[in-house]
Amino acid sequence: MYQYNQVDQQLVNERVAQFRDQTRRFLAGDLPEDEFLALRLMNGLYVQRHAPMLRVAVPYGMMSAQQMRSLANVARTWDKGYGHFTTRTNIQFNWPKLEDVPDILEELAKVQMHAIQTSGNCIRNTTTDQFAGIIADEIEDPRPYCEIIRQWSSLHPEFAFLPRKFKIAISGGPTDRAASQVHDIGLHIVKNDAGEVGFEVLVGGGLGRTPVIGKQIRPFLQKKDLLSYLEAIIRVYNLKGRRDNKYKARIKILVNALGIDTFRELVEAEWEQIKDSDLVLTDAEISRVQGFFKPFEYEADAANDTSLDAKLAEDASFAAWFRQNTVEHKVSGYRAVIVSLKAHLVPKGDISHQQMDLVADLSDKYSFGEIRSTHNQNLVLADVRNADLYELWEILSEANLARANVGTLTDMTVCPGGDFCALANAKTLGVADQIDAKFEDLDYLYDLGDIKLNMSGCINACSHHHVGHIGILGVDKKGEDWYQITLGGSDGEDASLGKVIGKAVASDEVADTLEKVLAVFVEQRIEDERFIDCVRRIGLSPFKEKVYAPAH
Amino acid sequence: MPLLINREPVENDSWTLVDEDTLQQSGDIIVPLALYQENQDSLSNREGHLAVQVSGDDNIDTVLENPNQFPLIAVFFPAVRDGRGFSIARLLKRAGFTGQIRATGDVSHDRLDFMTRCGFDALEIPADRYSEEVHNAFSEFSVRYQGAEDDSRPVYRQ
Repeated sequence: MYQYNQVDQQLVNERVAQFRDQTRRFLAGDLPEDEFLALRLMNGLYVQRHAPMLRVAVPYGMMSAQQMRSLANVARTWDKGYGHFTTRTNIQFNWPKLEDVPDILEELAKVQMHAIQTSGNCIRNTTTDQFAGIIADEIEDPRPYCEIIRQWSSLHPEFAFLPRKFKIAISGGPTDRAASQVHDIGLHIVKNDAGEVGFEVLVGGGLGRTPVIGKQIRPFLQKKDLLSYLEAIIRVYNLKGRRDNKYKARIKILVNALGIDTFRELVEAEWEQIKDSDLVLTDAEISRVQGFFKPFEYEADAANDTSLDAKLAEDASFAAWFRQNTVEHKVSGYRAVIVSLKAHLVPKGDISHQQMDLVADLSDKYSFGEIRSTHNQNLVLADVRNADLYELWEILSEANLARANVGTLTDMTVCPGGDFCALANAKTLGVADQIDAKFEDLDYLYDLGDIKLNMSGCINACSHHHVGHIGILGVDKKGEDWYQITLGGSDGEDASLGKVIGKAVASDEVADTLEKVLAVFVEQRIEDERFIDCVRRIGLSPFKEKVYAPAH
Repeated sequence: MPLLINREPVENDSWTLVDEDTLQQSGDIIVPLALYQENQDSLSNREGHLAVQVSGDDNIDTVLENPNQFPLIAVFFPAVRDGRGFSIARLLKRAGFTGQIRATGDVSHDRLDFMTRCGFDALEIPADRYSEEVHNAFSEFSVRYQGAEDDSRPVYRQ
């Protein structure tokens, strides 16, 4: 993974010092609250229900073992012993003290971590495929471009005060595991007719209050033009995006208001002015950054292992975990392991400091010392030898990190909701527990197959409920929490927005309602049809009828 | 109002921002763009220098066509969170403007360095936001990734 050079380290150190000074001026009364708000958000610091919340950047989901240990230390020293992974692959700490934050950031800077632009109306952490670099279907590893974008966007002097937040995702190939179609900019690595590798560029996707699927602005962009084209798009947005209403300020609103063709004309005209400038990426720079993401030195005889097959044959629990929680690696003899942060009755995406330390140790022992976070709030050890899987599974199981539910209903993506978040309209954690309790039987979940459940505690949609196969949105009705259910969303290459099935249900009826929805699926399903395909085939009516049938 | 030009405090500034009522005063004046466009004829024969102030809501195409008709262009920041002025300054530089680009309105410590990098050479800071500390704003960072108006070379071309 990327290693800081002197410039990278200096920049992060100086950002810590700057934030320390900003905090000092605020506490001394020299910096107005409203202004400090914008500045602290740009450094990932919110003020929540109980305490400030600090969001630390995990650039495109990559962490070293050393970084994970540092996060564990932060959780232990300044928080209540745990952290929460987010759908932007970042990690949040829910209990730091405002005056401690500069010290936390200084500690993180020692391991090349920061909280730069994890919130605020600026360019956020670029996300990508959690299997980047190790999956057979990718055209090229997207992570070097994520890092190039990270550097270009960090403390960009022109784009620190955009109309609203700005999120970029990159997919490395035709299978989209980065939700790129629901980002302000989605980049797809593609190969053109001449065999050159470049980017298809989408713009104006997003979730939140007004969910929109991104539109193609350019079918093919050469690699060297990546930054100049991004700069052109964002300059047009910065100048023309709405500033009068924060709910209408995202780029998707501008693109829809102008129409994609007019928006494209503006961007292309701007790009014409800068496409031959110093923004052109040099081959040397691309190669330099690519050099940090070279394949590991895999063992040539890893594929000769026979112990895995034996273990799979003799241990059904291990076999289930293997099937659900590991993924084929492009190098024969290796698998990518998904470390489930979706344990039974545990807040989704939460991880204790002991678990962080353990995962760090396991990555050192089994996976070249690297860990990834996913936009579905799990972790990945991407390069594990087949021969090590059984041992790894046993240790993960001990630590409650091996629930074999990846890709199933209880692999829920859930925001912290009203228990923590000041923006939330409704709580989410209790409802997640209710679903966990109702659908505890793994065999039933395996029979149901792939189902993506996303639950957000408010319309800001941090948990991407619009693109869950099943989406749950918490709403406030006269002080009570109610839950609106959508079906048919997807954030993959077949991206679609879920549709609401009817009026919201009460908080104690959510799991029962899901049970009815799933009963319709089981009844209507053709062979091994996936839930999402069934919903698309039969439409919402059968589900509505069942869920809202008058009680007998 | 405290004024920094090229990062240094300046005591004597000849420029005054005018409105509809004070438009006819003598001396060097900065006229909001809309007011300037309405009164272009009457303003053409006056003595003293003439500058315009633009903001994010203005269509600045005509200014960009011939920016050097003005010795100074002020860019107004209506609020902390309004970052349009950063892009406007870069457009002015790109259009070949060689006069002074002055940041006005909500201008304070934590954006001064970004403003300078985007091409502002004059920073007008409200008195209640000014202290000796603002001078530190320019030395908080010794490194940067992007090219901008101060140096067009991104880190990979340095």
